[in-house]
Amino acid sequence: MLYLFQVLNGLGLGMIYFLISAGLTIIFGLLNFVNFAHGAFFMLGGYLCWSLTELTGSFWISLLAGPPVVALLAWAAEVTLIRRIYRLPHTFHILVTVGIALILQETTIMIWGPIGKSIPVPDGLQGIVTLWNFAYPTYRLFLIAFTALIGFALWYLLERTRFGGLVRAGSESTEMVALLGTNIHRLFARTFALGVGLAGLAGILSAPIRGIHPFMGPEVLGVAFVVVVIGGMGSFTGALLGGLLVGLVQSLMSTIWPEGASLMIYGTMAAVILLRPYGLFGRA
Amino acid sequence: MNRRTFLKTGLAATSLMMTPPLLRHSLAAEPVTFYGLKSMSGAYASYGEFAEKGSKLAVDDYGLLLGEKPRYVTIDTEGNPGRTVRKVQEAVQQQNARLFGGCTLSSTALAVGKEINKVGGVFMTPAGADEITASECNKATFRWTVPTYGAIQQTVRPLFESNPKAKRWYSITPQYVFGEALLTASKNLFAELGIEHVGNSYHSTQEQEYSGYLTNAAAANPDVLLILGFGGNGASCLRQAANFGMKSKMTILLAWTQGLDWFQSLGPDLLEGVYLGAQYWHQVDAPVNNALVKRTREVYGINPNYPLAGDYIITKIIFDAVAEAGTTDGAAVIKAMEGMQYDGPTGPEMVRAQDHQVIKDYYLLRGKGKAAMKDRDDLATVVSSGKSFPEGDQILCKMS
Amino acid sequence: MNATGEPRPVLKSPGHSGRRRDAFVSLCSGLPGGPTAVVAALLVLMPVVLPSRTMATEILIFAMATLACNLLLGYGGLLSFGQAIFFGSGAYLSSLVMMHGGFGLLPALLTAAVAGAILAALVGALAIRRTGIYFVMMTLAFNQTAYFIAYTLSDWTGGDNGLLDVPRPPLTLFGVTLADLSDATAYYVFTAVLFFLIFIAVRKVIASPFGSTLIAVRENEARAGALGYDTRNFKITAFALSGAVTAPAGALYAMLLNFAPLENIQLSMSENIVIMTVIGGTGSLLGSLLGAGSWVIISDILAEIWPRWLILTGGALILIVLYLPGGLWGGVESLMRRFRGGGTPHAPDGIPNNDGSTAQPME
Repeated sequence: MLYLFQVLNGLGLGMIYFLISAGLTIIFGLLNFVNFAHGAFFMLGGYLCWSLTELTGSFWISLLAGPPVVALLAWAAEVTLIRRIYRLPHTFHILVTVGIALILQETTIMIWGPIGKSIPVPDGLQGIVTLWNFAYPTYRLFLIAFTALIGFALWYLLERTRFGGLVRAGSESTEMVALLGTNIHRLFARTFALGVGLAGLAGILSAPIRGIHPFMGPEVLGVAFVVVVIGGMGSFTGALLGGLLVGLVQSLMSTIWPEGASLMIYGTMAAVILLRPYGLFGRA
Repeated sequence: MNRRTFLKTGLAATSLMMTPPLLRHSLAAEPVTFYGLKSMSGAYASYGEFAEKGSKLAVDDYGLLLGEKPRYVTIDTEGNPGRTVRKVQEAVQQQNARLFGGCTLSSTALAVGKEINKVGGVFMTPAGADEITASECNKATFRWTVPTYGAIQQTVRPLFESNPKAKRWYSITPQYVFGEALLTASKNLFAELGIEHVGNSYHSTQEQEYSGYLTNAAAANPDVLLILGFGGNGASCLRQAANFGMKSKMTILLAWTQGLDWFQSLGPDLLEGVYLGAQYWHQVDAPVNNALVKRTREVYGINPNYPLAGDYIITKIIFDAVAEAGTTDGAAVIKAMEGMQYDGPTGPEMVRAQDHQVIKDYYLLRGKGKAAMKDRDDLATVVSSGKSFPEGDQILCKMS
Repeated sequence: MNATGEPRPVLKSPGHSGRRRDAFVSLCSGLPGGPTAVVAALLVLMPVVLPSRTMATEILIFAMATLACNLLLGYGGLLSFGQAIFFGSGAYLSSLVMMHGGFGLLPALLTAAVAGAILAALVGALAIRRTGIYFVMMTLAFNQTAYFIAYTLSDWTGGDNGLLDVPRPPLTLFGVTLADLSDATAYYVFTAVLFFLIFIAVRKVIASPFGSTLIAVRENEARAGALGYDTRNFKITAFALSGAVTAPAGALYAMLLNFAPLENIQLSMSENIVIMTVIGGTGSLLGSLLGAGSWVIISDILAEIWPRWLILTGGALILIVLYLPGGLWGGVESLMRRFRGGGTPHAPDGIPNNDGSTAQPME
């Protein structure tokens, strides 16, 4: 029974991990860009959520207004900086985005101070839902449903719209899309903003559960990369299943062998890389 | 490069090293100088900021010491133990530094204490690790913080005694030396009080997600949930426990918390009704504390918290000891500190000579609701307080 | 390269096999005595100019680690986020054999070197089975694993509290005590000599056929493979060498501090080593000393002035990638070239791409 509940909890956790990783994999898929600042943008989302909630008194306004702000920042970063390094090897992507992450982290401390903050669970979602003997927070249920919705919207956007078609075509061959007369720069900038905006959204949605502090970026980045590598870099379905797998492993481990939970996650990743070089859903 | 040039280079090197350095600091100045080890940058910056305020206040408010205003030098630990030890070595070698205080991180405090002991200096710290005044104790190192034993005695015992029906306890423990120490102390006390320990979950100190552990805890159906993680661990664990509706189902105790600054970051909604162990609380009515609160409000516009009060009193005690010894000589200052009784921020405090542990109160607080708060920082009320320390055979310190 | 790991033709720039080497050789010939003499001079100057000898020692220790990282990144094209594994285990192992095995200074360092080489060969053998970002993630996963092991084996490593009371034994050879190293200057001299020897050895390795093949593998793995080289073995050997240098650096650090903190084996240590390597300049050994030196000195000075100094580190990383792909040493190089007026100035090489080509910064 406990295991069954841990499985359910793991699936819920997995949806959060999917949300954290979706943006990372989209950016990698089209732009072939490795974004080590993903966690920092996640953190920024959380802080924007705090400020907007303080300012307006409503979590929902911050949920609406926060992601566009993060996306706008990402867009600005893309136009001024990121755009210039796409053609450099991954190593350089990592270095530049580590730099961006450091700047964001320290700026956050300057603006909001080094102490972490809490964001209350929004009104109406504060309760718990009781299943058999187990309680599950309403907010987490909302999060699962909302993430599923976002996931579906993303799927629709990527699979059924012209923008999505271009993005997918672009990830196969940039030149072809350029030949079709699409402004490839604009497409790239938008995709980058979309991916990072998703990191901001994830930061906002997780804030009531996890709280926020300036050093949360690297932790989140670690999880996101594990999920994306397990699922296959650039694969959207992979991020979903990778997220669920990591969530399950972590949740079950906390009953079976809690000390090894984090080790198992990285162990799973190493095993997947060795056995399935391009992840569970990456194309070789 | 052949052997001859190598030898020549070696000779040149030796002769160059004899010359006085160009950028080297000058030797120690005349006034008594206190070196504050503060995590100004890096991951513990939230702590260092307040600790620095505490030390500065103590230095500024101190009158003349050995005929002159004492001087204060900040050493940024950068939250990096290796860097800190190196900077301490530098201060010792070049500025003849001997009086040190501070350190957030236990590992840094332990290593720095040994380094300072080697040169016969004095070091006092508010760090958490029990080893500082137990297995790794030394002549130079003093500790203000109540050890894990006292923290558990002063929280678990009064909470249980006020509600003896709460017999089933579940613990959630960060898995490292410090968490282990809290857990051992808890288990010993559980056995003594006849508390049934219905289970324990370990988690890594980097853990962010507690839903799995909380599910385990809920399944055990305890009366009290004992959270032994502190800082970010404790905050996330408590926040998620509240999410899971556990606050209404059981009593929650966090045996070791950072105090006010940590409470502020969590807010009254989360803290209401939760029991909290603390080293210091600004509302405690004690002469030194009242004065400290007044001064801190005047100078910084805030209420003092644990890092501020801790580093304030550490700085002050060392100065007092220097004044009493009439010299900055390490051995004499240590002698003056051993057995020293003084009024501290928690009331009467005493430096135990045997293990250099400060004997002081530890507090059991209870979080207040928003409606009951008189001001922004009135986040908790003192339920009980008292002094519990390992005595006799239980003192593990073998002072060499 | 797209998600499938295939090269993306339009973004691919032609490789410039061996050009960096030429630049390096030409530069060296322009300096009296070559880079070895420059290093020797720096080693003598450092304790005189720097505020303290302990700081100078720290710089050399990190310069060793950077040198080893550079061997992988600059010459092998392998970005390893796992260098802290070797640094940390070098610190722990040497300390433990000194504390519990009664080992002297040199045997302890040798133990670290051998263990570091073996560990690195193992990590390398597994990680190089993948390339690009997957390779990086493998090294990262190994680093997390190593950290976890060190954290869990707290009876041996001291866990979170770190390993305390690490001795700094005197320098003895065949039972004869040559020098007492407890003094900061003596320890600096010992570290400097060791660094100097390692520097010469690494230079020899790079100048050897092994080195040129390693570079060839970096520039175009497929071609090197077609020429009959076992590229796998070359990469594993590079890893082993890197570990053999990084681990003693960790050991020296533990002896410097009399303490081996858990932070030695943390991912952030790997990150710092990579940052130092890049700031100094990949693909030049002098750059490693420059990188470690500027990192330690600047962070030391900045930490005193402004607690938020990491912002500047972040900015520096970005600027270096954009404008100074050769790192600080690349900057020095082009300045000297301009100063001398000779040679045709050209942009320094970038770090080789994951698919074997060498990327150029976009103008």
